[in-house]
Amino acid sequence: MAVAFKPIKPLLQTGTSAYSRWFSYIGLGIGVLLLLCSVQMFINIQHLLKEGSIRKDGFDFVSITKNITNETMGQPEKNLFQPQDIEDIKKQPFIAGVSPLLANDFRVQLSAGNIVPFSTDMFLEALDNEFIDTLPSSFQWQEGEQNIPIILSSDFFEIYNIFAPGQGLPQLSKESAMGMPVVITCFGRDNSVNFTGRIVAFSDRVNSVLVPKNFLEWANRTFSNRNRQEASRLFLKLKDVNDPQLIRYLDSKNYVVNKDKTLLGRNKMVLQGIFSGLGIFGLLVVVLALMLFSFYLQLVIARSRESLELLLTLGYSPKWLGKNVSNQFVPVYIFIVLTALLFTQLMQWAFHKFVLFNRPELSTAVSWMVLLLAVLLILMAVVTNARLVKKLLHQLG
Amino acid sequence: MKLEVKDLLPDYFEQERKTTSEIWGKELSFSNGDLVNIVAPSGTGKTSLTHFLYKMRESYTGTILYDGKNLKNCSKEDIAALRKDHVSIILQDMRLFEEQTLLENLEIKRQLNPYHPQERIIEMARALGIDHRLNALAKNCSYGEQQRSVIIRALLQPFDILLMDEPVSHLDDSNSRKAIGLILEEAFKRNAAVIFAELERAAYFPATQLYHL
Repeated sequence: MAVAFKPIKPLLQTGTSAYSRWFSYIGLGIGVLLLLCSVQMFINIQHLLKEGSIRKDGFDFVSITKNITNETMGQPEKNLFQPQDIEDIKKQPFIAGVSPLLANDFRVQLSAGNIVPFSTDMFLEALDNEFIDTLPSSFQWQEGEQNIPIILSSDFFEIYNIFAPGQGLPQLSKESAMGMPVVITCFGRDNSVNFTGRIVAFSDRVNSVLVPKNFLEWANRTFSNRNRQEASRLFLKLKDVNDPQLIRYLDSKNYVVNKDKTLLGRNKMVLQGIFSGLGIFGLLVVVLALMLFSFYLQLVIARSRESLELLLTLGYSPKWLGKNVSNQFVPVYIFIVLTALLFTQLMQWAFHKFVLFNRPELSTAVSWMVLLLAVLLILMAVVTNARLVKKLLHQLG
Repeated sequence: MKLEVKDLLPDYFEQERKTTSEIWGKELSFSNGDLVNIVAPSGTGKTSLTHFLYKMRESYTGTILYDGKNLKNCSKEDIAALRKDHVSIILQDMRLFEEQTLLENLEIKRQLNPYHPQERIIEMARALGIDHRLNALAKNCSYGEQQRSVIIRALLQPFDILLMDEPVSHLDDSNSRKAIGLILEEAFKRNAAVIFAELERAAYFPATQLYHL
């Protein structure tokens, strides 16, 4: 026959400590609610801000430069990316790839030949092919070839069409621009060479005039007397441009990135900060409430000391007694956490329905992680409680 | 079950006690069926001895062994099992749950190891003349009534050794005889050893061994 705890229960004196008991119940409820709500909001933010940037093959691409200040002006070694800078960036967990944008190291002039009376000093850049969003098969160059394929930034082309009428130049469609050969003049130390350039694609991603990398390397060797290795721009391949870690890293290194592309990430960082703070506060409240609860338990055991000692004298097992005493509080813990979970579910439902109008990225039900956390909190409370009672009873016997 | 005491002396007693006592500092062994009467005037350590044998206190030198196992090395769970199944006690200061009735007090003990059915409580209470007080709160009972309840409580479990520290100090001669009679009846049923510490030698206790503390 199992020993019944029912006749033992009246021997545990809760006495006049009902206030501290209720305070600890309410404290625990508020703490758990804050914690669960914060975690749920944290997850909501992750889901809401996951999308929102132009992605390709599951990656985001951004270019970064160093921040040029009055102090670093005129000191290219400070404004250019050194090999160790690139190595450091490559090591970061959120980086999937890095490619320096190679720039021309000699003077380049672009003209439209006889068709359009247009001529301008220009720059050329080259980038690893895997970083280019629109890469036609014609974007290739062999040494000795006169024709150079060009990938032009859509933004630059748009700017040309805005300013062309004011300069007396014709506005062009993308198709006609692609059909129109341009003359690229490369000026060397004591000579100049003309090449024929042809736009083969427009890029939405790279704000530059791109030529094949092997051409630019050859041209730099041929027309420049310097042997510059450093790049002023780097192109990053990222798993998530909104990753707060990335933004923190770029800010800490004082690197400049297109703010629009990382705005969501910055908002996400702020929101995550707020909810992390709330979560930590919730956790603190939970810890405080558990401490208050443990004081209450100590009080109960101190008040019932004589009865508990007599039970041990009669032959009751301390293990059995401890288990049954602490089990008295398990339904309370379960009730408190489940109530907090219910409120979190209500909040999530209201947030989804009335604040975000059933956005598909979010779910009306709380996340499984919140459920798991609730279970863990119950377990934590039960285990802490059981250990405390066991310790107190061992001090008695 | 075999109980052995070896060179026992409370920490707070001087070594000379060993020379005058038949228990302190000696080697003794008790086993099932022994009826041991320990006679000791006040202040010679009767209660201390009973408490040491029941592991309620450990302020002693020497060794107490139950079936060869040192009492000091027993865990709290081992002690609980020993108290539940093998060693019972009647304490001089009684120790009842004051806010519970006598019957509730007895049931709390009985449910731990129900050697006897509940009817036996009533029979024993009737034999000791407290059956009409079973539903009274312990705090409202006289010392004599409480003492008789404590005796019944000790007899509700199975035991190999029964420790008694002045178990009838609050009873008159007639009730004392009845109580000791009941104790001996239950001890014989179990073939248990009874260790009976009293101020003077009890005429109605058929001791097989007599020691002066």
